[in-house]
Amino acid sequence: MTRNITHLLKEWSDGDPQALDELTPLVYEELRRQATRYLRKERPNHSLQATALIHEAFLRLIDVKNVEWQNRAHFFAIAANLMRRILVDHARRRDAEKRGGPQVCLTLDERLAWAKEPDVDLLAIDEALDRLAAIDEQQARVVELRFFSGLTVEETAAALGISPKTVKRDWSVARAWLKREIGDSTRTTT
Amino acid sequence: MTTQQWQLVKELFEAALERDDEDPAAFLAEACPDDREVRDEVQSLLAAHTRDSTFMSQPVGSLLGDTRPTLLTGQHLGNYEVIATLGKGGMGQVYLALDTRLGRKVALKLLPFSQTRDPNHVQRLEQEARTASALNHPNIVTIHEIGEADSIHFMATEYVEGETLRERMANAELSVREIVALAVQIASALRAAHRAGIVHRDIKPENIMLRSDAVVKVLDFGLAKLTGAAEVESGLIMGTTPYMSPEQARGETVDARTDVWRLGIVLYEMIKGTVPFTGETHRQTVTSILQDELPTLDSEVPDELQQLVAKALTKDRSERYDDASSMENELKSLQGELEVRARLGVANANQNEAVTRLSGWATSTQLRTDTAGHTRRGVKYYVQRHKVLTGIAAILLMGAVGWAYVNANRNRADSRASSENSVAAPPKKAGTTNREAYRLYLHGMYLANNRNLADAQKSIEALKQAVQLDPNYAQAWAGLAYAHRTVSLYSEVSTQETYKRSIDAINKALAIDESVSEAHSALCENKYLYEWDFDGAERECKRAIELNPNSALAHEIFSRYLMGRGRLDEAINEIERAIDLDPASRFNNRNYGRALFYARRYKEAEEQFKRVLAMDENFVYTYSWLTSTLALEGKEAEAYDWFKKLLSHRKVDKETVAVFEKAFQTSGWRGIWREWIKRLDALGGSTFDRALYNAQIGNVDEAFKYLEKVYQQREVWMTYLRVEPRLDPLRNDPRFKDLLRRVEGG
Repeated sequence: MTRNITHLLKEWSDGDPQALDELTPLVYEELRRQATRYLRKERPNHSLQATALIHEAFLRLIDVKNVEWQNRAHFFAIAANLMRRILVDHARRRDAEKRGGPQVCLTLDERLAWAKEPDVDLLAIDEALDRLAAIDEQQARVVELRFFSGLTVEETAAALGISPKTVKRDWSVARAWLKREIGDSTRTTT
Repeated sequence: MTTQQWQLVKELFEAALERDDEDPAAFLAEACPDDREVRDEVQSLLAAHTRDSTFMSQPVGSLLGDTRPTLLTGQHLGNYEVIATLGKGGMGQVYLALDTRLGRKVALKLLPFSQTRDPNHVQRLEQEARTASALNHPNIVTIHEIGEADSIHFMATEYVEGETLRERMANAELSVREIVALAVQIASALRAAHRAGIVHRDIKPENIMLRSDAVVKVLDFGLAKLTGAAEVESGLIMGTTPYMSPEQARGETVDARTDVWRLGIVLYEMIKGTVPFTGETHRQTVTSILQDELPTLDSEVPDELQQLVAKALTKDRSERYDDASSMENELKSLQGELEVRARLGVANANQNEAVTRLSGWATSTQLRTDTAGHTRRGVKYYVQRHKVLTGIAAILLMGAVGWAYVNANRNRADSRASSENSVAAPPKKAGTTNREAYRLYLHGMYLANNRNLADAQKSIEALKQAVQLDPNYAQAWAGLAYAHRTVSLYSEVSTQETYKRSIDAINKALAIDESVSEAHSALCENKYLYEWDFDGAERECKRAIELNPNSALAHEIFSRYLMGRGRLDEAINEIERAIDLDPASRFNNRNYGRALFYARRYKEAEEQFKRVLAMDENFVYTYSWLTSTLALEGKEAEAYDWFKKLLSHRKVDKETVAVFEKAFQTSGWRGIWREWIKRLDALGGSTFDRALYNAQIGNVDEAFKYLEKVYQQREVWMTYLRVEPRLDPLRNDPRFKDLLRRVEGG
């Protein structure tokens, strides 16, 4: 398994897009499993940090000795994107629940709950982020890594193969851009 | 926007941020004179940038910190099926759930994941909860199960149907007596916990449940330390602060006196409607707790209660009550006092008299009255709960409180002058204007209701003195009749003699005032207990109620009459009414248990008797009722546990205890019955008990021998022949039918 994922990661890094298709569900599954474990007893006295989750998933999935530095960065990029999906899916479900939508019987893994409600609208951010990606793909990835995955500027820079300075600028612009977009959309809907 | 434009936007945005101009327009106009679209975009982004700096400042992932599991209606967890959401408890979400194995409703609490990741922590939590649960105290919520299913740790506890004290306070004002009755029960729960070395730490109105039958249940014992450690102990979390003790506010270790303080705050809040120490911020509240003087309560609140609250709320814990036990004792004695005072009030229906009396006392005791009959504030505690009818009782209650105040202060020069000038005009008939006679009456009635021989004898003395001081005090004469009757239950004084004394007293009362409700109640009692004139008894009981529908005594006696007649539904109604009128009466509460016992509703009877013992563990005859109930339920081990408590209350010597222990080990509860018969005198039993216990162990002939004796002595218990479950083994015997015919034939 470990070898397999490491291999897929390498293939993808080497330019095989199909490897990504195979890789994604595996990483996604691992991240979710980790998330659930975090919420249970296996991690005493820790709050769930997405970044810790991704690091751990990486250690578990990838044969670290046989993976190149570049591949590691790629892995983080994939994981960050998946983390975004996990969190946004969760927010969407919560939203539906709050609006009194059909009460579906959730499996345990889906019983994640916010410690406190995020004070931002994740769904709106997600949507705006897609639009930002159309203008500037790299900025959207920066947001995934920084905001959804909690990576530091340096880690983000490493994952994307750009300079920390660029990460900082992209992050700053992207935040302003998203803030404006969400502010605008809020205004128009109210 | 083209890629190039966008690139420019990013660069200009960054440059503008670095320049940090107040107005970036000039810079932008200079740097990019040709492209308005780019300039506008940068300006708009800069504007957004300065707005709300917290936006996305934290990665979203870290928001998934301490998570709490949730369930939906209909969802299953282990053997439990969620019926509804009850709310958020101190330790997480709480659900009403059905235990599908036992078919009972439980409160299901899910522990936050943060509390259950560490197995050691879970173990401590379970241990503490089990210790608290093992207290098996009627005012402590029982924990049925602590377990884990689907990785969720949960706790299934007794489901308490009712409202929290917080809700009660919001919905209705509480009378002083209700407040004290609630506090007694909370203190009783805490006493049991403190004795077991458990400090609750988080007493507050949200953790106190009130059932519809006025029983209090304290929740979440011993959990605060483990689930809310940081917040409860150091007060870091807002919202819990007004109940924090000074030592909690300072982050020091807590002990039993912390609970004393918190109960003090709850008491204060029940009385006044607000907590004494609070502020707009957490810090201000802490400062208030540590420094502010206790704001005084209304002067209408009984003195003893004010002192009690003040003692519980002493900042230096060494000056508080040592633990809940000493606080409970003082609350109980205050409860007894209030009971006596109110009994008089409730028993007297004559409003004019009441008002006259009150106005006299009130002016003499700083209990301000505007005009006769209108006390300004103090009465509200009572009146608003009981509306108009018992408003009268409330006025009398406050009068009685005032009376005590006079007593307490009568040697003080400042109060003497005013009190002696303002003695109330003498009520003409049932009551008295003689203060000492009145005090003796109250005291006598209180003693009679302690339901034991020594106090019953003392009560006769007190009431005799009362009628000596005021021979025209009709109520006291009626009370004397009642006291004589009570003595006969516990002594060898012949029934005939008691009956005669009692009738004499009743006749005196009726000669003074034919409309004294108490006298008719006493007459009713005499008729059914001694004369076996059941129709006559019913007439008198109904007359007593008619004369004073709010007399707890009248309803209580009628209820006992109905029990003997086998009219148990009616009896239960009447005793419930009596308890409504006089909730703190142990005797009424025990009789409620008796009615349930006779109705063969053993489980409920058991709970009721336990409740009575929670009110007063020294109300000893209750142990006999409870052990009999448990024995009939087949719960022999539990019956024996309670029996041992009876032995310790009776101060039975070690040898006897050992005899009982052996008897129980070898022959179970039958062994206890057998040995009990031999030691009835020491354990406080009657010939009737001898018959009952013999019937229970199959000594049928022996049982009939004693029943015959009881019949010959016309002992009062004969009137319960029809319903007594412990006589069931005899019921088909012709001798039993004969006996029943002789009693009920008149």
